[in-house]
Amino acid sequence: MHVIETQNLSKEYTAKFSKQKVNALNDFSFNVEQGEIFGLLGPNGAGKTTLIKILLAITFPTSGSAKLFGTDVGNHKAKTKVGYLPENHKFPSYLTGEQVLNYYGQLSGMKQGSDMSKRIDEMLGLMNLTQWRKTKIKKYSKGMMQKLGLAQAMLSEPDLIFLDEPTDGVDPIGRKEIRDILAQIKAKGKTIFLNSHLLSEVEMICDRVAILNKGDLIKEGNVDDLTKAENIFAIHTVEPLSMELKQKVLGIDPGAGIGEREINTEAGIDKLNGIIDSLRSNGVMIQTVNQKTSTLEELFINVIKKDNTN
Amino acid sequence: MLTIIQNTFREALAKKIFIGYYIFYAIVILIMIFLVNMDSVEGVMSLADSKMLVHQVETGFLTISWNLIIFFSLISTASFIPSMLEKGTIDLLISKPISRPMILISKYLGAVLFVFLSMVFLMGSIWLILSLKSGYWDPTFLLSILWLTLAFAVMYSIVVIIGLTTQSTVVAILVNFFLIFVLCPLLSVREAVIFSLVTNETVKFVFDFLYYLFPKPGEFRDITTSLINGEQINMWKSSVNAETSTFTISWLSPISSALFCLVMMAYSIYYFTKKDY
Ligand SMILES: Nc1ncnc2c1ncn2[C@@H]1O[C@H](COP(=O)(O)OP(=O)(O)OP(=O)(O)O)[C@@H](O)[C@H]1O
Ligand SMILES: [Mg+2]
Repeated sequence: MHVIETQNLSKEYTAKFSKQKVNALNDFSFNVEQGEIFGLLGPNGAGKTTLIKILLAITFPTSGSAKLFGTDVGNHKAKTKVGYLPENHKFPSYLTGEQVLNYYGQLSGMKQGSDMSKRIDEMLGLMNLTQWRKTKIKKYSKGMMQKLGLAQAMLSEPDLIFLDEPTDGVDPIGRKEIRDILAQIKAKGKTIFLNSHLLSEVEMICDRVAILNKGDLIKEGNVDDLTKAENIFAIHTVEPLSMELKQKVLGIDPGAGIGEREINTEAGIDKLNGIIDSLRSNGVMIQTVNQKTSTLEELFINVIKKDNTN
Repeated sequence: MLTIIQNTFREALAKKIFIGYYIFYAIVILIMIFLVNMDSVEGVMSLADSKMLVHQVETGFLTISWNLIIFFSLISTASFIPSMLEKGTIDLLISKPISRPMILISKYLGAVLFVFLSMVFLMGSIWLILSLKSGYWDPTFLLSILWLTLAFAVMYSIVVIIGLTTQSTVVAILVNFFLIFVLCPLLSVREAVIFSLVTNETVKFVFDFLYYLFPKPGEFRDITTSLINGEQINMWKSSVNAETSTFTISWLSPISSALFCLVMMAYSIYYFTKKDY
């Protein structure tokens, strides 16, 4: 059973007083498996939030179907083991941090009692909000609200968590903490579905990503595969290379790119080792050998550009 | 469900308007104390006299304040639906394992229950004052708690439907103001006032039709005062006795108002279940 399963989801928004239509999602099909951290990327307006809303039956698809844990999302029982942090969430401002968790915990089906208050203490501690627990949330800063929102999403120990830009407005230290917390949740076998613009962050925590542009799925795969797709290696030497050595390297790999103290090759592992042998037998000291990876950000910008020109 | 009702209470208590609401009640109660004092200085009265006096005061009080009390209750609760529908709040609420009809019904019941308790407080205090001052203990006045709450519940279904479709508190309050203070009173005196001016049967029919269509919060008051004074209530049609010029109310108005409320709520639930947020 897939944790999330969608088939040919499409969503078309029609503006009320004009004939203009927005295709927020086009024929979108994908699955998410248990224990994955799945990242959904895409420029503003790509349809990321729309997808999450359809999965939680907040918005209804124009066509297609979606299931959570094998149950159709139209059935509210599908959401029993689900946590959600909406983008720009808004809690009732007259509640304190503690009351917010209490309220949403109960709405998630938790029973009031010592187990629940223990869990609330734990979440407040985890988010460094313990000293603010009795403060009305209208006095919270943006980052504190975001942390409280996360605490709310994780409170009932759901098996699946949807996070729409969870680190929005959180400082670097807080973000690091959130990443660590997400890793812990994943270690417990839970599934996380994440929307984000912060690609370096997604790269750090996600197992699998999908890139969405104007409602279309344009790329999907494991983060490692996507970023290590290019087979480029770079060798850096301590001393500048002599002309003679440069010729020798070109003899092994005619396509190599050679700089003052750097050799780039795309010819594969065998040729790479051949070059290293030749350098070493000539007494050259090697400083580093790296596999070049494109960052997720480079990949993202490339595929979006390509898609937009088509 | 209980959780949502409970939170609706919290919301009501957190609202500034709620304080104004109770200050208004407190003033009403103080005025009552003052008035009743004046009445009883006139000397010791027989039981029959005090009974009649108490009924007169009660009827008078209800006649003056009935619509105001309902309107104040509507103002203090009208924002519940629009505030629930705010972006970032409604998303989270729907993401919880609760069905949409349940969310809406809980909100509605939360508001009704809140007003019920306010009425217990207000009418209970007034009843206590009257009874203590007059020495005449007659619980029928407490029926007003029930009938005020019912009248509120009917009118609140309009707030719900307007709140859902326009997400505006102001529009909901304005429409209710118009209904309570203009249209409904006008419709209920249509026979005496409008029909004496127009003779056209179609126009008369339209007014009759509107009368039966719209809720009649004011006539809930007439029912209450009739019950307090032990007067007769007709089953289907209200009537006027020409000789004594007494007016007899019928059960028709609460029944048609309840139907109105049910239709409003059914449509609200349907609308809420289908809507994208
Ligand atoms: N309620 C709505 N009515 C009409 N159009 C909408 C509605 N909600 C979203 N859209 C449109 O659908 C498209 C996708 O919006 P969505 O919020 O899913 O984008 P997103 O990928 O989450 O963007 P961001 O990164 O800015 O959060 C946008 O073009 C948006 O204008
Ligand atoms: Mg978004």
